[in-house]
Amino acid sequence: MDLQDLRKLEHKRRVRYGYMWALFCAVLWGLWYLPGTVVWVLNPFDEMYGEIAAGSGDSMALIITAVLITAFNALTVILALMVWNGVLGKFGEMKRTLKQFKPCSKWFFLASIFGGPVAILGSFIAMGFVGGAFAAVAALMYPVVGSILASQWYGEKISKRAATGIFFIIIGGFVIFGGGLLSELGTGNVPWIGYMGGLMAAVGWGIEGAIAGKGLDVAEPDVGLTLRFLGENIIWWIIAVPLLAIAGFPMVKYALLAFEPLTMMVLIFAGITFGFCYVTWYKSFPLIGVGRGQGIGNLYGLFAVVFIILFFGDIPSWTLLLGGAFCLAGSFTMFSEDTSGLESLRGE
Amino acid sequence: MVQTAAAMEFYNGYWVNSYLPAADVLWMVVILIVALLALWQARTFVSKF
Repeated sequence: MDLQDLRKLEHKRRVRYGYMWALFCAVLWGLWYLPGTVVWVLNPFDEMYGEIAAGSGDSMALIITAVLITAFNALTVILALMVWNGVLGKFGEMKRTLKQFKPCSKWFFLASIFGGPVAILGSFIAMGFVGGAFAAVAALMYPVVGSILASQWYGEKISKRAATGIFFIIIGGFVIFGGGLLSELGTGNVPWIGYMGGLMAAVGWGIEGAIAGKGLDVAEPDVGLTLRFLGENIIWWIIAVPLLAIAGFPMVKYALLAFEPLTMMVLIFAGITFGFCYVTWYKSFPLIGVGRGQGIGNLYGLFAVVFIILFFGDIPSWTLLLGGAFCLAGSFTMFSEDTSGLESLRGE
Repeated sequence: MVQTAAAMEFYNGYWVNSYLPAADVLWMVVILIVALLALWQARTFVSKF
């Protein structure tokens, strides 16, 4: 075996790992919707919602409660990431990256703005207003935003085959949630704020992916993602939660009440699934590109609906089966692409 | 804050129609298995590249 063959073999292994990370991301992201949905009915969030709704109305109560849940989600994610980085022995690298703000950290702090207050908050709002299954599939448009930005900004290559795969996955997502939306339109009772939350998730995660792709040129994904969540924790716990408390909302009272065993356990499982799905998402970007990583990661919509059916017992509809088939077709279109064209992920 | 009876009823209500046995515990077991698998693969990845 000569040097060229070894190089090709090494490249194939990297691409295989890239797709594997994106698939891990999809499964863990799908699982996140289980704790992400049930946490809403637990105290103190249930009583917090009731207290704010009595004074400021249901919509405001839902958004403010979503802020506190998202803040706790960010907190448990960073704990999960500390375990991840500890097991991989990356604390030294984390310190080095954190010190290099201008070339490295700034990208991850910027990503945290679009990922946290836009995407994750939007997703929790969609879960609260419409439901877990909707929130999961509403964000399926995000690879379009991500891959277009990555392509225009730093010339990431998107092959025709990859574009076709992403297109199939997006069509699948629309078919999955289209049925629910149509029936709600029929009854005239459409929770528009929830749908706005879904749109926030799609745009926010798309922009975050493109920014992360830029940051990962100069930093390591496990560490970069931890810094991104450090930024998100600063946004929630140092800026948003205190500002809302000053505005008169009972943030501190309910934040302290959240330290209840069942609530904490559900939040910790949300942290594990979300932290690990995010880190595998970031790990896939340098190996297969932002467009492909997001495209395969997009299978989370299918996994979320399947897990919700299995664990919550909702009966599958024909739209789910058809949408799922589209998602699988899109993924296999991308999986089966000849990887020799991916040796360089960027244009010349 | 202790969970109220209403909150627990809603929480348990999520798992009662599940197609899987002991779904209220199984979801956590599934998450742990997948998370440990990902961590193990990450260790392997670090040692290879």
